[in-house]
Amino acid sequence: MARSRPQDLAAVLAPDPPVEPPPAVGDLAQALSRLRATIGGTTYPLVMPSAEEAKRIGAALVAQLDDYLLPRLARLDAPLLVVVGGSTGAGKSTLVNSLVRAPVTKAGVLRPTTRSPVLVSHPSDSSWFRNGQLLPGLTRTAESSTDPKTLQLVSAPALGPGLAFLDAPDIDSVVDRNRQLAAQLLAAADLWLFVTTAARYADAVPWELLTTARLRGTVIALVLDRVPADAAGEISAHLAEMLTARDMGGAPIFVLPESVLEGNGLLPEDVTRPLHDWFAQLAADSNARAAVVKQTLDGALAALGPAVAGLAEAADEQATAAKALDERVTAAYRTARRSMENGLQDGRLMRGEVLARWQEFVGTGELLRTLESRVGQLRDKIVSAVTGRPAPGRNLQAALESQLATLLRGVAADAAEQAYAAWQAHPAGTALLEPGLQKPSPDLPQRAERVIRDWQQYVLDLVRSEAGDKRVVARGAAYAVNGVGLTVMIAVFTSTAFIPTGAEVAVGAGTTVAAQKVLEAIFGDQAVRSLATRARTELIKRVNVLLDAEAARFTDRTAAVGLELQPGAALRQAAVEVERSREEVALTGTPS
Amino acid sequence: MSLVDRVKHALAGDDRVDAEQLVARLDALQRFLRVTDPYLPDNDLVAAHTLVERAGSRLALSQDHTVVALAGSTGSGKSSLFNALARLKLSPVGVRRPTTGVAHACVWGPLEPANRLLDWIGVLPRQRFIRESALDGDDEAALRGLVLLDLPDFDSVERGHRLEVDRLLGLVDQVVWVVDPQKYGDRVLHNAYLRQFKQHSDITIVVLNQADRLSPSDTDIVLTDLKRLLEEDGLTGVPALATSAKQPGMLNELREALEKTVAERQAALRRLSGDLDVVAEQLATTIGPPAAEDEVDRATVRQLSDALAASAGVPAVAAATAGAYRHRAIASTGWPLVRGMRKLRPDPLKRLHLSTDKPDAALEAEPVARTSLPEPDAAQKSAVGLSVRAVAARAAAPIPPVWAPALNTASRSRLGDLPDALDRAVAKTDLGMSRKPLWWGVVGLLQWVLTLTAVAGLGWLIAGYAVRVLGLPAFDNPKVGEVPLPTLLLLGGLLVGALLALLLRPIVNYGARRAGRRAEQRLRGAVTEVAREYVVAPVREVLNGYAQAREALTVVRSE
Ligand SMILES: Nc1nc2c(ncn2[C@@H]2O[C@H](COP(=O)(O)OP(=O)(O)OP(=O)(O)O)[C@@H](O)[C@H]2O)c(=O)[nH]1
Ligand SMILES: Nc1nc2c(ncn2[C@@H]2O[C@H](COP(=O)(O)OP(=O)(O)OP(=O)(O)O)[C@@H](O)[C@H]2O)c(=O)[nH]1
Ligand SMILES: [Mg+2]
Ligand SMILES: [Mg+2]
Repeated sequence: MARSRPQDLAAVLAPDPPVEPPPAVGDLAQALSRLRATIGGTTYPLVMPSAEEAKRIGAALVAQLDDYLLPRLARLDAPLLVVVGGSTGAGKSTLVNSLVRAPVTKAGVLRPTTRSPVLVSHPSDSSWFRNGQLLPGLTRTAESSTDPKTLQLVSAPALGPGLAFLDAPDIDSVVDRNRQLAAQLLAAADLWLFVTTAARYADAVPWELLTTARLRGTVIALVLDRVPADAAGEISAHLAEMLTARDMGGAPIFVLPESVLEGNGLLPEDVTRPLHDWFAQLAADSNARAAVVKQTLDGALAALGPAVAGLAEAADEQATAAKALDERVTAAYRTARRSMENGLQDGRLMRGEVLARWQEFVGTGELLRTLESRVGQLRDKIVSAVTGRPAPGRNLQAALESQLATLLRGVAADAAEQAYAAWQAHPAGTALLEPGLQKPSPDLPQRAERVIRDWQQYVLDLVRSEAGDKRVVARGAAYAVNGVGLTVMIAVFTSTAFIPTGAEVAVGAGTTVAAQKVLEAIFGDQAVRSLATRARTELIKRVNVLLDAEAARFTDRTAAVGLELQPGAALRQAAVEVERSREEVALTGTPS
Repeated sequence: MSLVDRVKHALAGDDRVDAEQLVARLDALQRFLRVTDPYLPDNDLVAAHTLVERAGSRLALSQDHTVVALAGSTGSGKSSLFNALARLKLSPVGVRRPTTGVAHACVWGPLEPANRLLDWIGVLPRQRFIRESALDGDDEAALRGLVLLDLPDFDSVERGHRLEVDRLLGLVDQVVWVVDPQKYGDRVLHNAYLRQFKQHSDITIVVLNQADRLSPSDTDIVLTDLKRLLEEDGLTGVPALATSAKQPGMLNELREALEKTVAERQAALRRLSGDLDVVAEQLATTIGPPAAEDEVDRATVRQLSDALAASAGVPAVAAATAGAYRHRAIASTGWPLVRGMRKLRPDPLKRLHLSTDKPDAALEAEPVARTSLPEPDAAQKSAVGLSVRAVAARAAAPIPPVWAPALNTASRSRLGDLPDALDRAVAKTDLGMSRKPLWWGVVGLLQWVLTLTAVAGLGWLIAGYAVRVLGLPAFDNPKVGEVPLPTLLLLGGLLVGALLALLLRPIVNYGARRAGRRAEQRLRGAVTEVAREYVVAPVREVLNGYAQAREALTVVRSE
């Protein structure tokens, strides 16, 4: 018994479809190829809530373009493909066998039974399906198989030409591969024959699929199978109600009563008659067939726009996320840079070890001696050779080096920790992290010391080149350069906060004044200021290079995933072109 | 339960769950949670908290009742089976899917004692029925104590049903999964439900209902396939029975299974025991090898106290102590004429506002005045930060990484109080400068004597000179050798005093260095104490928590 009569078809389909193949089809095909390439080229490497979904949809769209849209567009007159889909055990295989009155596909009690699709067509149509433009990813076979990558082709003379049935695997069993394959096959259907049963019609999973089909504009017909005789009215009314509530009220429903199968496993002929007749009429009417083909095709094309828009959004989210991650790292290392600069500027570095060594350096008179004559140099050399103690100048240099290196390591450690925590708070960041990033790179201590030593060398070179002609330096040669160089380094830490406040006055002020005075006496105050400024700028520059390298440990990871700046734009552009061509082609006759 | 244990149990013929042991395991889990709550992320502990709470409630309620739920897809025949087992039409059966929207309960035996249990499970009073009537005679006696639940479905478009099922499945003692020939291979059934019960195979029964719709040979084929799927779900060996709600004879096996369950009164304990296994397995990732309390080794603590000492200005104080020693030594042993000048110069220790008195035990509670030591510089702060991190890292090394954040936080928990604590520690340390060495007094006295000698000589000479000027008869100055005594006294006193001061210089310097070293040692001791109290102790506390959690989890996992 069928609730819908064959005439209802007219209500399902658009009126009066054009028969001629429209001229702009070539443009549309080209636009589709471009869209396919763009979707295929878009990646979603960052772990985001939208990424998994986008990957899945992207792959499904590419598959649909290859499997169905492109080949169908190339041959609008090819036979109409009816994909029989639904839950496991709903009786899909039994129904296909019964419609063609032959056991072409295996039905059985095991759930699920069907593992690879079986396509049944009239012998005259089989060449179209065999040449493999439609669903090119599936290998054609003649025997039944359980390999999900094959498509078994069966000819059934009982079936009229122009119409083919495809028995699809289920959509809801434990076999995941079946569900993916079913989705792929349903995306390639010209008409969905959706099979459900009295026990199944309210299941959540099939309704999800029905909703996607509606959104895609696919032509749908439903079979409500295995209905207890006395419950037909109640159940079919309920199903119709559910369809209407989900905006699919127009789809025809065929209600098949629960019946004893015939010996060969087929349903009694009178049970399937309404359905059989409906299909026979469709097969006979080429206009109606073309209308179904075009409506589903046009619906699928129109659905590309919103789907691609979703992809574009996800792709843009990727770029935004990458940028946000980079910004978090930049912020952490900006803080590091600032604390380094502050540490250098406020004169506080001059209070501990460095101060003591400086006082020693000045207090023992080594500084002045370095500036005075070779005699001093000689005497100090002898003294240090005899006592085995390094000269105060060396001590000062070492103290400076270790203080700066410690400061640098400290800020780098803080920054690494901060950047790590910031990434951990971001879903994409968490996936990119590895535990080692929480700490600064293992060789940072060595590199930090290296940076400071190189800077000290730079200051000495600077003094040499700037002051080479100054008498006092010239006289003391290398030895004097050392003394002046150290003085310049001290001045770097003190010149902005020149007069220390509070308790330090007693300890420190004399010192820094002394440094300044010594330098001014040698170079003149303008030159002193410029020397100290250049030395500081250079130090900060070198430190920044080091911190940048530390930050790059993070940012390299976002760079490695290789995202463009605005990946969504290309997708949107390609979709707009497809939509424009679709409107020009006007498959269903009414340009929307 | 591992396979080996399972085999052992089977051989011992005893798979009963000991209630006392279960309670002990639950207590241990509670202990685990108490210890780890402040340290581990909430997400890791949610399941355990839920279980503790639920187990507490279930054990407090009737243990003479066994709550068995019929669960399954819509249309599988749960309500039909429920009615068939009760031999009454209690739960509506329908052709419209889904039919049952709320749980129905049937109690074998008097309703009253089961009511509190059903309140807790959340079955509405009007959905509760009793299966006991005088008409039955002893027919139903074997099921006395059974509380059978008919659940809604979990696979229909009604999402609310699924939420209700998920809630109820957490509370029941035993589950009978009702599947049918059409739906026994559904993904949602296996992935979302049966697989989640793989640790509960001892309270799981699966029935293939509507077996009357299959031929007997097909029934066997389907049952075999169903068992294969169950095995894939991890439910090896659970009973899989063919039933039919329409043919009374096909219910016997299920009835017998239920009678056995009811008679054993074990399902509730088995359920909780299985839940404990699941939770213990989840928690196992948070516990690794044992971590010693003194995981933070000496070298790490030394590094930390070095950094803290530098930031607390210990070298400066030590230097000031040496300076103060020198200052005071010279002030008390120097040439008395120079001493006065010395005293005009400030004492280096006082300049730092450090007291030199020995701290008085009675005044221990007195507020300690802040010192005037300079604030630590940026590099010293960095060094402290780095060594505090090192302490946390050292402690975190041997144990699972989930603990690392807690250790990090603990190591820094008192960082804010550290500067003040260090300052107090430095201020309170006895620098060993309260007592003047004895020899200073002796030498000081000697210097005075020498000075007095010189003064006496001078006085004598002046007196002699005055006598001569006044024309009085001159003294007859005694002579030592050629030199007159007064001259000798004057010059000798001056010379010996100066010489003494000069000779003592190296000794004073040596003493100053020693005083400096001693002060440094004591200060370091004090700083190390601070390091232990403010950084190491909080970290140890976490390690201690880890050790306790580890012990507790061992008990939870023992079976
Ligand atoms: N009595 C009766 N049995 C039916 C009917 N339709 C299907 N069956 C039985 O139901 C079982 C499943 O039928 P199939 O046709 O294999 O179902 P399917 O939808 O192809 O299932 P999968 O291949 O697993 O997706 C078989 O044992 C059929 O014999 C019916 O109308 N009446
Ligand atoms: N032949 C046969 N039919 C059954 C059997 N059990 C249930 N049915 C039928 O299956 C349909 C559904 O039965 P219910 O008991 O309402 O199923 P349910 O599992 O409670 O369904 P929900 O309440 O929707 O979850 C009814 O039409 C029953 O008559 C059985 O053992 N054999
Ligand atoms: Mg099939
Ligand atoms: Mg029900």
